[in-house]
Amino acid sequence: MALMPKRVKYRKHQRGSMKGNATRGNFVAFGEYGLQSLDLHWITGKQIEAGRVAATHFLHREGKVYIRIFPQHSYTAKPLEQRMGKGKAEIEGWVAIVKPGTILYEIGGVEEEVARAALARVSHKMPVRCRFVVRRHTLG
Amino acid sequence: MSETVALKAELRKEAGKKHAARLRRTGRIPAIVYGHGAETVAVSLDLHTFTEMLHHGHRLFNMKVGRQSETLLVKELQYDHLGEGIIHADLVRVDLAEMVKVTVPIELKGTAKGTHQGGMVDEHLNNIEVECRASDIPEVIPVSVKELEVGGAIHAGDIELPEGVKLVTDTGTLVLTCHLIVVSKSTEELEEEMPATPEVITEKIDREAEDSSE
Repeated sequence: MALMPKRVKYRKHQRGSMKGNATRGNFVAFGEYGLQSLDLHWITGKQIEAGRVAATHFLHREGKVYIRIFPQHSYTAKPLEQRMGKGKAEIEGWVAIVKPGTILYEIGGVEEEVARAALARVSHKMPVRCRFVVRRHTLG
Repeated sequence: MSETVALKAELRKEAGKKHAARLRRTGRIPAIVYGHGAETVAVSLDLHTFTEMLHHGHRLFNMKVGRQSETLLVKELQYDHLGEGIIHADLVRVDLAEMVKVTVPIELKGTAKGTHQGGMVDEHLNNIEVECRASDIPEVIPVSVKELEVGGAIHAGDIELPEGVKLVTDTGTLVLTCHLIVVSKSTEELEEEMPATPEVITEKIDREAEDSSE
């Protein structure tokens, strides 16, 4: 069983429309390096877990991996050869809605080269185009 | 230390997102100048020149706003959704001798003792707020982590600041810690912790209402 919420107000969600860019969660906040999404997509709990495993395996107990997205949106699917109608189907899985600019993962406590290599492995598990980003210092 | 550099700006008469977008397409960005009780002025800056100056560590600019030349400090920058390009800048009027509150990034120096003992340095805060003369704003504040052992911490009050720089951030604020690396859980372990299906709050309320009616 992949990532999913512990408590929800309503079990099933409407699919909704995906548009626009990330206005929140679009900068590296916890670690020093991050993986940023360049596309708009649903990322399932299983894909998020696959990315986490890819990073932690590569890091060999070094550094810290932060997951910045969480699958809080459920989607339903009808079984094969099912006639249409008879209400909304059962839940198939949980997804995170990712927009261009969203930081997916962050890594801290390792050298840049190591973080770059670890996040490159993670990007192969993602259904979106990704890029490596470094934490930006804020002026003000 | 910050140096003052000259920056050319043009007065901006039109406001609104459509005009700002049109401006950005021409390689300029909208900016606003305020402070010292004077009138707020909308200006536009050349993006390439401004970004280059920021990359060189400049924060103070000499700019001709209207008829008179003013010294301006970068107060805030807004970035696009990818965090790549600057889309707007806030510039505040300052005197070089005036005390200003600014956030300055922290730069870690050396390797912590704790990292040789199987620990890692966790940076909780990557910049601190300080008060100093506008002409003496440090580019970075170096923090030596050589003596940091596993279980140790550095608070904002422990950081050595350059002369003439006062700390504004609360002295007790946690900046750095060194702790042992926690072994990440395997997928199977995480699955055991996870519920098979999420608890539905509305269904629980309905069930309680039914029970009470019986």
